[in-house]
Amino acid sequence: MHTPISPVRLPLIEGNKSYHNITEDLCTPTEKAPGLAWITAFLVSVIVMTFGLFSIAWTVWFGIGSWNLNRTIGWGYDITNFVWWIGIGHAGTLISAILLLFRQKWRTGVNRAAEAMTIFAVMCAGLFPAIHTGRPWFDFFMFPYPNTRGPLWVNFNSPLLWDIFAISTYFTVSLLFWYTGLVPDFATVRDRASGFRKKVYNFLSFGWTGSAKHWQRWESLSLILAGLATPLVLSVHTIVSFDFATSVIPGWHTTIFPPYFVAGAIFSGFAMVQTLMIMTRKILNLEQYITVNHIESMNKVILLTGTIVGVAYLTELFIAWYSGYIYEQFAFFNRAFGIYWWAYFGMMACNVLSPQIFWIKKIRRSIFWTFLMSIFVNIGMWFERFVIIATTLARDYLPSSWSYYTPTWVEIGIYVGSLGIFFTLYLAFTRVAPVVAIAEVKHILKTAGDQYVGPKAVHTLKEEVHNENAH
Amino acid sequence: MKQPNKEMWISAQDLRNEPEILEAARREFPETSVMEELAVDDQMARLETSRRDFLKFLGFSLGAATVAASCEIPIKKAIPYVVKPDAIVPGVAAYYASAILDGGDIVPVLVKTREGRPIKVEGNALSPLTKGGTSARAQAAVLSLYDTYRLQGPGKVANGKVTASDWASIDKSIRESLAAGGSARLLSRTVLSPSGRAAINEFIAKYPGTVWIQYDPISASGLLDAQQATYGIRAIPSYHFDKAKTIVSFGADFLGTWISPVEYANAYAAGRKIKDTANAQMSRHYQVESFISMTGSNADHRIIIKPSEQGAAIALLYNEIAKAKGAASVSAPEINAKASASLKKAAGQLVAQSGQSLVVSGSNNPAEQILIVRINELLGNVGTTVTLNDHSLQRQGNDKDLKQLVADMAGGNINTLIVLDGNPAFDSAYSVAFSQALAKVKTRISCNINLDETGALCDFVTPANHNLESWGDAQPKADQVYLLQPTIAPLFKSRQWEESLLLWAESPNLSATSDQPYYDYVKAVWQREFFARQSAFATFNSFWDNGLHDGVLTLSAPSFSGVSSVDTALISEGISKPSNGDEIVFFESINMGAGQFANNPWLQEMPDPVTRCVWGNYLFVPLTWEGGNSYTYFKGLKDGDIVKVDINGVSRSATIVHQFGLAPGTYAIALGYGRRVAGTAGLGIGTDVQEWLSSDTNGYATYYSGDVTIGEKTGSDKEFACVQHHHTMGVTGKDTKSGKTINVDEKTIATIGEGYQGSLVNRSVIFQGNLADVKQLGEKIVRKREEFQFLNDKTLYPSYDDVYAMGHHWGMHIDLSACIGCGACSVACIAENNVPVVGKREVFRHHEMTWLRIDRYFYGELENPNVVYQPMMCQHCDNAPCENVCPVSATNHSSEGLNQMAYNRCIGTRYCANNCPYKVRRFNWLDYTKADLFPANEPRLTNEETPFGADNLTRMVLNPDVTVRSRGVMEKCSFCVQRIQEGKLTAKKEGRLLRDGDVKSACMTACPTGAITFGDFNNKESQLNKNLESPLVYQVLEEVNTRPSVNYQAKVLNRDASLES
Repeated sequence: MHTPISPVRLPLIEGNKSYHNITEDLCTPTEKAPGLAWITAFLVSVIVMTFGLFSIAWTVWFGIGSWNLNRTIGWGYDITNFVWWIGIGHAGTLISAILLLFRQKWRTGVNRAAEAMTIFAVMCAGLFPAIHTGRPWFDFFMFPYPNTRGPLWVNFNSPLLWDIFAISTYFTVSLLFWYTGLVPDFATVRDRASGFRKKVYNFLSFGWTGSAKHWQRWESLSLILAGLATPLVLSVHTIVSFDFATSVIPGWHTTIFPPYFVAGAIFSGFAMVQTLMIMTRKILNLEQYITVNHIESMNKVILLTGTIVGVAYLTELFIAWYSGYIYEQFAFFNRAFGIYWWAYFGMMACNVLSPQIFWIKKIRRSIFWTFLMSIFVNIGMWFERFVIIATTLARDYLPSSWSYYTPTWVEIGIYVGSLGIFFTLYLAFTRVAPVVAIAEVKHILKTAGDQYVGPKAVHTLKEEVHNENAH
Repeated sequence: MKQPNKEMWISAQDLRNEPEILEAARREFPETSVMEELAVDDQMARLETSRRDFLKFLGFSLGAATVAASCEIPIKKAIPYVVKPDAIVPGVAAYYASAILDGGDIVPVLVKTREGRPIKVEGNALSPLTKGGTSARAQAAVLSLYDTYRLQGPGKVANGKVTASDWASIDKSIRESLAAGGSARLLSRTVLSPSGRAAINEFIAKYPGTVWIQYDPISASGLLDAQQATYGIRAIPSYHFDKAKTIVSFGADFLGTWISPVEYANAYAAGRKIKDTANAQMSRHYQVESFISMTGSNADHRIIIKPSEQGAAIALLYNEIAKAKGAASVSAPEINAKASASLKKAAGQLVAQSGQSLVVSGSNNPAEQILIVRINELLGNVGTTVTLNDHSLQRQGNDKDLKQLVADMAGGNINTLIVLDGNPAFDSAYSVAFSQALAKVKTRISCNINLDETGALCDFVTPANHNLESWGDAQPKADQVYLLQPTIAPLFKSRQWEESLLLWAESPNLSATSDQPYYDYVKAVWQREFFARQSAFATFNSFWDNGLHDGVLTLSAPSFSGVSSVDTALISEGISKPSNGDEIVFFESINMGAGQFANNPWLQEMPDPVTRCVWGNYLFVPLTWEGGNSYTYFKGLKDGDIVKVDINGVSRSATIVHQFGLAPGTYAIALGYGRRVAGTAGLGIGTDVQEWLSSDTNGYATYYSGDVTIGEKTGSDKEFACVQHHHTMGVTGKDTKSGKTINVDEKTIATIGEGYQGSLVNRSVIFQGNLADVKQLGEKIVRKREEFQFLNDKTLYPSYDDVYAMGHHWGMHIDLSACIGCGACSVACIAENNVPVVGKREVFRHHEMTWLRIDRYFYGELENPNVVYQPMMCQHCDNAPCENVCPVSATNHSSEGLNQMAYNRCIGTRYCANNCPYKVRRFNWLDYTKADLFPANEPRLTNEETPFGADNLTRMVLNPDVTVRSRGVMEKCSFCVQRIQEGKLTAKKEGRLLRDGDVKSACMTACPTGAITFGDFNNKESQLNKNLESPLVYQVLEEVNTRPSVNYQAKVLNRDASLES
């Protein structure tokens, strides 16, 4: 007897899972004691995070002078890291919102973790604008709250203010979306739990009973949030790019920045999803949920966005030449051949050239190559932001003020620390919530008329076949 | 089966009668409440924390935390005057005419005092000497007043340590020593003061046998002796740079440090400003020198010679002129061919402009100076550009006298030595010999206001007052006398040296009962000496009051008709002989002088005009280019590397900096650094080169050495502090590969490839040209600006021109041809606006805070480039990029066109600084002003105990009208908004409109050449608008459409086309 697998539409979940199997597989990590790999990773993350927090405290106590920024280069690691983290966040929203609207069912295998990544990445990103100010204790000046100083309002012309709105909106919508998805899953965990855990998960699941009305509302809410989140995928990084595009500094002042930044954000976000997923599926034994097909699909996105980014780089160069504007021409000439040439070529190699190997299907489906490339892309995209920020500022209009920038240990500490914060949160997340959306995966388990419950369930049939063969 | 123990049981344990079960059975209700467990007695056990208690606890904790966390705020009592002094109106500045005196250097000033504190000096526009110009040193004098290192009273010195004493006992000891007989000597730098001279004469009369010796740390003995030999008068002629059409200077840094730089700079610029491009005229200036001095950087042509070739170069010029004028020639050794050819051209031009030319030399060789005198005579310049009746007295020192003194001291012939002024153990050419010989003197007294190298070797220190605490007078020229008045009571128990001398001489002319005895003394001298020589005032009181008010008295110049009669052939033996091998020049730097300003952080942090380095003296080594993407560095060393330098057997470490325009095999290093006994700001900063100074056989100090070995690299300065690493606006060189002349800097700033040619020179930052093509330059600028404005008109956004057309619209004009790069404006800005000093390490990190910097760009030939200086401050753009990016509106625009900062609102995102095309915004990276609550982030300038400026004494220099900024906020030039406000208020009080010239920015008033004009665009009659009419006026980066309020006038040189290679 054959298993009912459609040759046209391959199953998105491998291993002939039953609904019960899915519940078991995905809830278990939240229920049993963590393994050695998790404990080690968590300890390392917490230590790195602590160092990062120490570096932040150092910065606040001693002042921005503990960084190596100077009169010419006012932003360095801080804003580079900010843009990098914001970019990373984009993949989660793209996967959960845009792919939901496009009815890309494979997204369900990765969307939960990707959304978590978004939340944590945006938290890390938000950290940098907050601590990069000279007087962080007055950061609240940036919010338009009613006050007795006139009232004195914020400057609505400033892209930094738009950032505040864009990022806070983005964070709120992403968090809601993520949590909405978690509600039925928390209920599943609750139903299996007992004692105190049950109470906690009961609270977290908002008393979800799984009634048809609940599901209906849940579906509607998900769609609405997806609709809200979709423009955010495009708008957030567009606005982040305005930080540069609306300035007068050659190399920043370019109209190509919004699409180019968005493509770059999705590019780096998917790379980070790959990094995380490859590790997660291995450690939590989720290979049958997060399959090679997922990895291949995401590699295709990486290939596409990487190529878009490459075209943007070339367009920038062309426009600089075509503009006839000497400052812009020099800015781009300097990026490639000036003091920071290594950053530019690092960026080009990692972002444009190396993803081209994904034209080869074998590499696209290779775990090793995917993991390697995801790291490359993350490095490349970091370089991109560094090139845009530091290289441009280092040599702008007046040669008298040109300078050079290398970070201090404090700046490196905060950057590494932000990675620590990110991984600490992510690792904690894998212990608390199902890493794959249980409810959503169950939706897509059935691709044809196959059965997963009752005596004709696929796994039962398989067992029968097995028994027959044994006889 | 029946259980033996029980009939009923609840578990196996129960059956076994385990102790826990028994215990549990005994206590039926085993759980007691926590409260009961912890309670000491019953009453406590009944206690419960009610909601009300909880609130109480909360309130208490909050209160306790508040008390614990908040520091006790000290109560500062402000006590009003019971009887208010007339001169002090709180909030209103009072100005007193005085002069900043430093040896022979004088800058007549008005001292601005606020609530009795001198905080700023302004040039005295009534002075015929400086016409209101100042120097960076004069501007920094107010900070020296509040130097914490100053001696706080008289003391006895043993082993370099001062033990405080009182005047009575010190005076007694000194009088005893003097009365004991033996030979006494007074030693000072040039004394310009007639009253001081009178005091010295009284002292000498009291103690016969006393000899007074004057010396100048940077000696002009050769020049003075040459005048003595030719004209019989030991004084420096007045040089009129404004009247000269051709100027040749042999190593005289007359714009920066030589004799009377403010006076010369003012006159020099007057002869070089371009009023009208159609009919433009300016002088042509040749500078013959071995390294780029500030004066050389302004010259039209620099003729590069080795230091030892200077005598021969002067002789060559003399012979050329003598040939043309039919006079006898002298023997002249060969000099390098290029210089020789250039000098011959220069000679031709000098001859063509006889009577309208000027030749000067900074040489300390009398023979060379006699040749200079003869050159000017042959050219007929004496009486026109060189005048003797109004001769200058600004240098009177005599190297021979100093040499004799050192010999006398070493011979043990001197009983008492009183150093009135100066630090000969450090700053003279005889510093080593002097220090050794000083040990042989029985009683040694130093009157310097600080403990220095000389004071540390003395027996007594009797500190003089600071300039701004003293009465006095000065006669820098035969026909000008200046009155100095104190602007604050002495801060410490100091006493000016003139008064000390008179007391030691027990002078009857010094009133014992007067509050200010020396005031009476000066007054008496003026009545005696000057009242009679004028006719404007009938009574002495009105004469005196006028003197105090104006600060200056002009006398009729004595007539003088000296005739030169020296056989030039005889003296030609004395000129220095060119030598082969490496040579090094020792020069006076613009900020540090001979080291007397070492304790002044404003001057320490003032960048050298040409190298742009701060906090130290750096060894200039040559830079060449032989193709490729980098310059060829001397011995492969990088800027900031430390090398061993051996000169005359004395070895020292020096940090190198590469320089254009050095003669081959020639190095240069500034004097005055590496102080051994000084305040923390100056102690050990830089390399002590004084020991390397030598003198020739006749005792004249020489400022170069032909015995120099530059060793290998021994390390590198990890805090090499240079505010402008980058060199040029396009120096050209020949590419070895292609053979084409390319812009070398544009190639070398690229790491890979050929560089982007044109990327620097085509920026609209600097416009420069030559006098011959000045019309075309003007047309080019006008055309470019039209193009920019056409583009800028395409803006989508509405302009606010109608708003700016109302009321005032402040703007500025800066003439780059007049700017000589002296830095007076920069220091004036620091003084006016409380700009913090950040120290060497912070400058190395490019954290300098100067609101006004002077950008220096090289251009022209790589081997011998020209220099343009560009004062750069906030441009107060009417379409300011900084303003719209600030998220909190901390920087915004006033209706008068000012870009203003609300410091309290600033949170320090630094976005504005990033978006500023001019990079003039300055961020308080650390707590530079020591204004923060906690002292963790106060950077030290050096490794002083209390950070500079953290003490109340230094803070007295702060301008109360300007906010002191705390860490984490952005700041920048405000166009001296406090002065604008003051001007407007004054006009309002007087019920009139604001007039042009009522408001002048600090940089404008400080400028010795009048390069900066501040004013109101909306006042059609203003000088600003007149200056803007020139076609040479442009705006930096106009095409960016920032619409700056600062306008620059293009740099124009008067180069001789036939000298271009």
